Formats: sequence, structure tokens, C-alpha cells
Amino acid sequence: MASFDVMPEVQLYQPVELGDALNLADELGEDGWLLGGGQDTYGWLKDRAKQPTAMIDLNGIEALRGIRDTNDGIEIGAATTLRDIIRDERINRDYSLLAQAANRVASPQIRNVGTLGGNLSQDARCWYYRRGLACYRAGGNTCYADGPEAMNREHAIFDASRCVAVSPSDTATALVALEATMVAESLSGRRIIAAEDFFVGPDTHIEQMTSLDTGEILTAVHIPSKWAGQRFYFEKVADRDVWDFALVSIAVAMSMDGDSIADCRIVCGGVACTPHRLTGVEQAVRGMSLGEQTAEAVAAIASAGAKPLNYNHFKMPLMENLVRRAMRG
Amino acid sequence: MDIATYKNDVWGQEVLRGVSWDLLWLVVVLAFIAIAAHAIYEASQSRGDRPTSEGERVNRHDAIDRAFHWIMAGSVFVLLATGVFPIIGLEFAWLEIHWIAGIVLTIVVAFHIVRSFTQDLGSMAVGPSDLKEALDGKTKPGKYSPAQKSMHAIVTILTLVVIVTGLIMFLQIDTPWWERTNEMSESALGWLFFLHGLSTLGLIAVICLHIYFAIRPEKLFYMRSMIKGWISKEELVAHHDPQRWTPDKSN
Repeated sequence: MASFDVMPEVQLYQPVELGDALNLADELGEDGWLLGGGQDTYGWLKDRAKQPTAMIDLNGIEALRGIRDTNDGIEIGAATTLRDIIRDERINRDYSLLAQAANRVASPQIRNVGTLGGNLSQDARCWYYRRGLACYRAGGNTCYADGPEAMNREHAIFDASRCVAVSPSDTATALVALEATMVAESLSGRRIIAAEDFFVGPDTHIEQMTSLDTGEILTAVHIPSKWAGQRFYFEKVADRDVWDFALVSIAVAMSMDGDSIADCRIVCGGVACTPHRLTGVEQAVRGMSLGEQTAEAVAAIASAGAKPLNYNHFKMPLMENLVRRAMRG
Repeated sequence: MDIATYKNDVWGQEVLRGVSWDLLWLVVVLAFIAIAAHAIYEASQSRGDRPTSEGERVNRHDAIDRAFHWIMAGSVFVLLATGVFPIIGLEFAWLEIHWIAGIVLTIVVAFHIVRSFTQDLGSMAVGPSDLKEALDGKTKPGKYSPAQKSMHAIVTILTLVVIVTGLIMFLQIDTPWWERTNEMSESALGWLFFLHGLSTLGLIAVICLHIYFAIRPEKLFYMRSMIKGWISKEELVAHHDPQRWTPDKSN
């Protein structure tokens, strides 16, 4: 694959009104690339692995930025930077799970410019795909990451269907745990999508990571008050402490009734193409109290049903250990 | 409009990826133009009274053959729906349903092939005499008309291509019985996908025509025979040469 020192020639649109951005997205269709912080975008473009003819820079649209109170929780504009989320008082007080997850994204420099919408909508990090090979995800007929000699240490152990890439977003796991909803707008109107449905697997959309249609823009994320101020746990295991994607991460939201767990949502990142809910563990821990006994009792459930590839069996005990640590209290 | 689509392989070489699905619309439009043209032509012709379905009945299709036909039809519809709907934008988890329907189709077709050796193979064979028979318009056929034999021959070829390519493609995915190896070259995969897609397009066209002819008023007795098994003696005499096809009486 050839390497390039400079960016390709791309038309740049910098709308300041959402309506203009929606018109552009509709008009340009698949030729228009939505630009947030650019941390996923520039690599694709510089390598010429994706070749849009135009970019629609969403950063100048004030309506897409900021964190607002709503009748039922908060709403975060999709172009809000991860740094602003990490530093926001309300989020740290009520939804610290999201702040913790955002704080583990990449590096401080990237968090300064990276946006929530960009982190949620970023493409798969499978290096065979990123290198521009014609795999299933790129519209081809094969998967390079699941062969006899394939390097698939970072790939999926759940829910793979031809493509074995994983969701790389750290904030996605937290938002699924918090039962967030995504607001997607287009010229046809507004769609409210549950976070769990926003991320899509290869069984239905092998060339997409999200359910956003062409011409649609993720404008905001709404987090309901249901989980405000509850007990949270987030942990991400990666090869490096900064500037790395999760090998496995876990986001847990728990409501307590005295010492026992009344309700909880447990979501793992890095193990499937979408944030992977551990529903078996969630059911098992309800009514139990946090502690070593509970941790040992439910940990093995986490990896039940996993189908590891050649080099990622380690993710199974890693998941189990993360569940143990989350349940120890 | 392209017939095929291409992608660069791991070496940067352009390789065949599969059929161009733009052809789907062309195939559907052409099939409907052919149907409309035939319907207009038929409407302009004056036909005599249709034979009655009353009276003595003769057996046309055994129950087992009717079951084969409808199971095959069901599996083909499921295969087409699961294969084509995601391409035209109706996205859902289609792959498992697709290969399960593919296995059903493969089994019933294998059964049909084996069973055909116990039947009168010649009644379905297409030959030069069929062309002559079709052109003179006076000679009545045996059990199957030249058009029915031709349709069967085309469906046979397309179905066998779609099954063989489908089975090889089936080996390229994880199933409950094996794990894929991903060892097939992109070029070979491209040809597989191309042939599978092309035969699918052919089947779509043929099925459109098949359904149209099955529900035409003057052909409805064939549809009935594929459901109930019988045609009337009068229908037999009107459309077939009893010297060339002597069916059993129907119960």
C-alpha cells in the first residue's frame, strides 16, 4: 500500500447551521464525509483507503455543542468534545460512568479535539480493513482477520458474522449501560434511537458500525435520569495506558437497595462488533450484594457463549476478571 | 451499466468481486415488459371456450412431486428474499436464514434428481422436435409442452449453478459443523459470487415468468394440478395428445 505525505484534495464545507449541514449531507450522500474531531477521519483520508469527494465539518454548528439539562436527564451535543464531557460538573456528579469512559479515550490531545459523536460513530479498527483491503466490511468477499495466519488478538469473541471487527468506542459501553438514546436528524425528520440499537453488527450491516443512514447526522445524545447518581464501575484494559483501544472494557451501572443490587446493566467493549451486554450476569447479580462471593459466583457467566479466534482466547478470562472486579464493590 | 463489480485484492490487483446488482432492476423491468407484451398479445387473440374441469379426472402430479415443487418454491422464495432484500435496503440478519433455506433447496433438488431416474425422463427432455412442435402450433404435446420443458431446463441449469456456487460459499462461513478457513483466493471468490449472483438474477426473471404463466386464466388448470394433482379428461384432450401421454385415472 502506498503511503502519502499529504492529504488528498477534498472539498470542505463548514456549515454553521444544522439545517445547512443536513442539506449538504442529503445532497452529497455517500460522497460527503461528516467531520467531527477528525481523529478517525484523517487516517482514512491520508491513506486513501476512503476517498470521499467532500467533507462536512460539523464543528462550527453551535447547536451541536454543549451539555444541557432536560426534563429527564441531560442532553449532550454530538460535537461536544470529550474533554468538555470529562470536565462537566453535572456529568461527574450524576453520570460519572461516562466521564470515566471518556477519560480513557486515546490521549489528552485527542480528547481535546475528539467529539462524542465522532467517538460513537468511528469506524472499526481492524487493521486489515484500515489498510484498505477488500474485506467484507469494505464490500469484498472475505475476512482477512479470521484465517489460519491472521492476527486477530484484538478481534471479536461474540456475535461475529463474517466480519470479526470490534466496536472501538469507549463511550459507547457507558452510554449503553446508562440507557442513553441517540438523536439522529435528516431532511426526513428526527429519529430517536436507543443506544443499543444505534450500534449495529455485521449480521445486519456489514459495512456500517451504526444505524445512521446516508444523509443522517447524529446531533445529540440523551441520557435519562434513571441512572443519575447510581453506582458505577468502568475499567478498560489496553496494551498501553494512553492512546490505545480497549482489548476489553467494562461499564457497569447499578442501583442498590440497601446492600443488594436492585438493578444493573453491564456492558463490555472490545469483545463484539457492538457494545456487548452481559445480560446473563445482570440477571444473576440482581438481589445479590457486592462482594467476593458474588464476584466468584457470576464471573464465569460473562464469557459463556464466546467463540474466540486463534489469538484472542485471553479475552475470556479477561472479561471474567473485569466482572469480578466490578462485583467486588 | 456494468455487469460485474471489481475491487483491489491484497496485492493491489483488480479482481472480480461479484455481479453488479444494478442489473436486478434491468432484469425485473425486462421480465415485466415481456409479461406485459404477452398479456397484450393474448388479449388480442380470440380463444375458444375453455375445457371444463368437471367430469372424469386424470392424475398429472403425484403428491410427492407436488410436495417437492412447493418445498422448492418456498425455499427459493426465502433464498431470494434473504439474498436480495438486504441489497435493496431492507437490512436484517439474513445469513443464517439464507443458508438454512439453501440446505433445504439442496436436499429437495438432490431428492428430485434421484427420483427422476425412476420416472419418464424423456417426458421432460428438450429436443429439436420440441422446436418444430412449438412452431407449427398444431401438434399437441405429451405430458409437458415445449414451453414447460424449456422452462424446466432453464430452471435446472440456473438452480444447479446457484446450488453449487452456494455450497462452496457456504464452506467460506462459520457454521455449527465447521469453522471457515478463508483460504480461497479473492479471484476465485469473486467468480463464485459473480456466478451465484448472475444465476440468481436469471432465476428472478424465470420465476417472474413462471408465476405469470401459472396464474394466466387458460393455464390455471396446471396450477390446480400442482395443488390437487389432477386435471380433467376434457382438459387433457384439449391441451395434450393422449397418444403421447396416457395418465392414470385420478381418485
